[in-house]
Amino acid sequence: MSETQRPKSVGARVQRLEDPRLLAGRGRFTDDHRAPDTLHLAFRRSEEAHARILAIDTATAAAMPGVVAVFTAADLAGEIRPVRAESRMRDYYATEFVALATNKVRYVGEAIAVVAAESRYLAEDAAAEIEVDFESLPPLGDTDAALAEGAALLHEEAASNVIARREFARGEVEEAFFAAPHRVGGRFRMHRKTPAAIENRAYRAEFDPGRGHLTVHSATQVPGLIRDALAEILDLPGSRLRVVAGDVGGGFGGKASLYPEEVVVAALARRLEATVKWTGDRLEDLTTTSQAFDEVVEAELAFDGAGRLLGLTAEVVGDVGAYSIYPWTASLEPVQVISFLPGPYRLPAYRGAVRAVATNKPPMGPYRGVGRPVSVFVMERLIDMAASKLGLDPVEMRRRNLVAADEFPYRAGSGLMWDRSGFHECLEAAVAEIDYAGRRAAQSAGPGADGRLIGIGVASYAELTGIGSRISAAPGMPINTGTETATIQLDSTGAVRAAFGIASHGQGLETTLAQVIADELGVAPDAVEIVQGDSAAVPHGTGTYASRSTVLAGGAAILSARGLRERIVQVAALLFEAAADDVEITDGIVAVAGTDRRMSFRELAKAFYSEMGRLPREVRDELALEVTRVYDPFFGTTTSATHIAVVAVDPETCEVEVLDYAVAEDCGRVINPAIVDGQVHGGVAQGIGAALFEEVRHDADGQCLTGSFVDYVVPSAAEIPAISVTHVESVLPATEGGFRGMGEGGTIGATGAIANAVTDALRPLDIDIMELPVTPERLFRLIQNAKINAKTKERDET
Amino acid sequence: MSGRHTITVTVNGRAYTREVAPRLLLADFLREELGLTGTHVGCEHGICGACTVLIDGDSARSCLTLAVQCDGAEVGTIEGLGRVADLGRLQQAFREHHALQCGFCTAGMLITVTDLLAKYPLASEADIREGLSGNLCRCTGYENIVRAVQDLVAAREADPA
Amino acid sequence: MKPPPFDYARPESLEEALDLLARHGDEAKLLAGGQSLMAMLNFRLLAPAILVDINRLDRLAGIEEGDGRLSIGALTRHHALETSDLVAERLPVLHAAMGHVAHLAIRNRGTVGGSLAHADPAAELPAMMCLLDATLRVAGPAGTREISVHDFFTGALETALGDDEILLGIDLPSLPPGTAWGFEEFSRRAGDFALAGVAVLVEPTGAVRLALLGVDETPVRARAAEAELARGALSDAAVGQAVEALRAEISPLDDLHAGADYRRHLAGVLTTRALAAARARLA
Repeated sequence: MSETQRPKSVGARVQRLEDPRLLAGRGRFTDDHRAPDTLHLAFRRSEEAHARILAIDTATAAAMPGVVAVFTAADLAGEIRPVRAESRMRDYYATEFVALATNKVRYVGEAIAVVAAESRYLAEDAAAEIEVDFESLPPLGDTDAALAEGAALLHEEAASNVIARREFARGEVEEAFFAAPHRVGGRFRMHRKTPAAIENRAYRAEFDPGRGHLTVHSATQVPGLIRDALAEILDLPGSRLRVVAGDVGGGFGGKASLYPEEVVVAALARRLEATVKWTGDRLEDLTTTSQAFDEVVEAELAFDGAGRLLGLTAEVVGDVGAYSIYPWTASLEPVQVISFLPGPYRLPAYRGAVRAVATNKPPMGPYRGVGRPVSVFVMERLIDMAASKLGLDPVEMRRRNLVAADEFPYRAGSGLMWDRSGFHECLEAAVAEIDYAGRRAAQSAGPGADGRLIGIGVASYAELTGIGSRISAAPGMPINTGTETATIQLDSTGAVRAAFGIASHGQGLETTLAQVIADELGVAPDAVEIVQGDSAAVPHGTGTYASRSTVLAGGAAILSARGLRERIVQVAALLFEAAADDVEITDGIVAVAGTDRRMSFRELAKAFYSEMGRLPREVRDELALEVTRVYDPFFGTTTSATHIAVVAVDPETCEVEVLDYAVAEDCGRVINPAIVDGQVHGGVAQGIGAALFEEVRHDADGQCLTGSFVDYVVPSAAEIPAISVTHVESVLPATEGGFRGMGEGGTIGATGAIANAVTDALRPLDIDIMELPVTPERLFRLIQNAKINAKTKERDET
Repeated sequence: MSGRHTITVTVNGRAYTREVAPRLLLADFLREELGLTGTHVGCEHGICGACTVLIDGDSARSCLTLAVQCDGAEVGTIEGLGRVADLGRLQQAFREHHALQCGFCTAGMLITVTDLLAKYPLASEADIREGLSGNLCRCTGYENIVRAVQDLVAAREADPA
Repeated sequence: MKPPPFDYARPESLEEALDLLARHGDEAKLLAGGQSLMAMLNFRLLAPAILVDINRLDRLAGIEEGDGRLSIGALTRHHALETSDLVAERLPVLHAAMGHVAHLAIRNRGTVGGSLAHADPAAELPAMMCLLDATLRVAGPAGTREISVHDFFTGALETALGDDEILLGIDLPSLPPGTAWGFEEFSRRAGDFALAGVAVLVEPTGAVRLALLGVDETPVRARAAEAELARGALSDAAVGQAVEALRAEISPLDDLHAGADYRRHLAGVLTTRALAAARARLA
């Protein structure tokens, strides 16, 4: 049967298989499980940003109603073996992973002691009664404080607060700048942000003392990584340790690392031989979940009179917080900033240097886009600044510099290799979608009756997705994130079950992977049970992060489903006494072409597994109806996009409204357009949050000022515009299935598009947006300064 | 007056009598005491809207309501809107429009939309967005939630029952 | 983030409620809509010994007209105020302001009395009461008394209400026919507390009332600005003078979302806009 005749699931807007349970309130999130006698944890956290712990008094707490036990680090010394986020990277210091603080606390909110009680209410009552005697140390409230001469050391044994450094260089940078007729540049600042998934982090562990089995239910994106880490920390074999991520309420990177609470929950379940649960609250989330995007970038771009880019330099300082996060390391985000800064542009010379600086803030970790929202903000602003200097339209500036179709594969300045992706196609598609020319014409007519200034902002970017084993997801990290295993089986009832190491947390992977397998196998998607988010499903898995799951798990799904299909066909051929070439599978029915000989999967499975004598006995081994395949894309593939935002700025109130938003992206073959659109919408909303609303703030003493959703402003439906998404399939990449990853792109593009749009709107005032988020308060200061400057200039001229 | 209180609360049409501590939040009562875990807790200070339920027909934050206050009240939760095998009209609209991803904010969204449809014309997209603004979603960018509500508004006009 | 332990009482009568307050003094907290109180309890910012739930005192809810005034019971929910035809007709400026109060789920529960007693300077209702020259009716152990709104707000989250007193309701004097109005506020996110907000009334006599929220420790009646406007008959010059005057008579606070100078600037911008809207309605 030819490919075209088979009903195709890939490419269709298949309704999600996970939705009915989630819509009916029957999902199973980590906190949803109810078991009698569960012990609830509450942590005594540090109110000091930087202090020595002199004494901890738990006596009062331990005697309070409903309290079963109270533990400090000293009490768990024998249970928790130390680990570090190791890396082969030079100039990197791996801080120790700290479950409960021992000698020192390094950020406000760091866990010091833990109460196990009959309810969370009682546990909180008791945790508040744990007395800690601190000796305050000088707080390192920001990187300036941490880099200052004679600054206190956060980790004395590191001998410096700079815990990672890296530099990339390519081409003759000095010569390029020396020869360049034009330069633009400046100091760009992006402020700290937090993922803020609506489900807070939660962990629940059950211990079976009879078998010595520990099962940890975790609201995590990375059950495989957590299983491997806990095996080391708790000194347990993987066979007795299972980490399960059930339904997970969003992650965005914030649930992709190992957390102190997770380790404590697991250790206490074993120690107390009980079910132990911790469900974080929003205050804990906003003060202890990994944060991101906290960078200062000094960058300069050189170009010629025709707008051709000649060279780029960047010095990046990343505020990585108090610890090097496990397993990604503190270098993850800052290094990505310089890796991706050159963007999708032809750029002969580049030098990027980065320092990761430890401060008294919560650890920096992966967050949707990892560094690239910062690099795109900086590079796209530079491109617009260059265009403005030459009087070129920003779109034309990009046309002249985006890597062209015949230049792929293209090695970017940082050494990254771009495979063919629709750089120009996305730009043109976005320009058409938003009616760029029409918008510019309307804009040139001047502000509307309401006095608001209209701005149009363009951002193009490229990212590497579906990264294989050739490149580590984090620099030098001794963990393999580049392969994915799929085990697919037809069981004795004729049911298809496919197991993976990924862990969906909203991406709809139960649906997209079922679609991929359905097409390979010749069944309907809802006939494929996807098992994921369970470390016991496959021997090795990591999870879902870094825009990897569709590419890697999709590829593994294709390979294993193909293998299973071959075996089913051969079994059918034996049963039908027909040639394998004549066997076809449609909608779960196996038949011999052109005949009425047919059987269901159920009948075939029964014949194979249960009806002795129907098949030669060795076939049950040779054609075992379970296939495991490992897929490794080795390199990875380039996903690209152009975002165009239209904003209105009220120069009096300093309000920015995003009026319209268009995205054109090339994510290769689209498995489910509804899901891809949804990923882009959500990513853009987070990028708009990063550009206009969201900011984690600490004072100079390291106290968090944004510990509630009143103060950490996550945008609502009223602040987010309608978002249009155009899919561009340039040339399919070499990945199995032709898929590219796209879960992060929305966030990556939005920072640059919004910053450029606001700058464009403020052109009459000669303001360049160099700092995000551009809140009304910041805009007010910029406009006030611009007015003062204009007056000074006027006075000087008269 | 002090100590625990015996309350009877009708949830999705079924009456439950339980003894509760005064400080027990309605959200925890539903989840911990009744096992109705479809109602989710996101912020416990009334901003995110994930825990929104109906109390005597009006949407309310179950994190800002004590269980003891609901003695004699009728509470409606996501579990009352339809079953997995038989989704209700709102749930269907959300499914058709892919208006959920991780599904964690969804219960609060559905309850809010129930109340919005009952009380407001929702004549424009801006009105719908304003109406949804007390419910935070981190996954969808709201786009498809707005589309689902637009569909429901149109269906309401066609069939006011 | 679970509330600390407390006792709970739900009086069926006002007398019973007053009695509970008399007995527990400042250890007791009144629970009305609970939309601010419960959040503060969940953060453990308060630790009352007992909550006195007045939600069953049904007679404290309702909106009535009579004697040249609108009377609004303290237990009237925001949503009832928002959707009241009487309010929309008699006090359209209040109707407009209610559209900015939080979100439906909050408005369903939150009460007028609760908002006034909580006295958040950035909330809409306290400023609206100042604009409308409300009189607050209060019951205490010694009987009932009346407090002018202009004596009620004594500081951020502070009022003239005693620990043993319960707010019964407010009386709003009718506006002269033909009174024009304007309301403007700016918040970072729909339904959030505003960074600043302004409400104005222009009476046919030319008298102007101007109330602001979010720009001081209490809601503000900008008397100096009102005088400028009345004197200058709302001319552009008078508006400019008024803005100057009001920027001098408010003392905004610096906070996370806005500095004092930005708030002062916003107050002027929003005042100009609210006055323009009122002038348009006069015509």
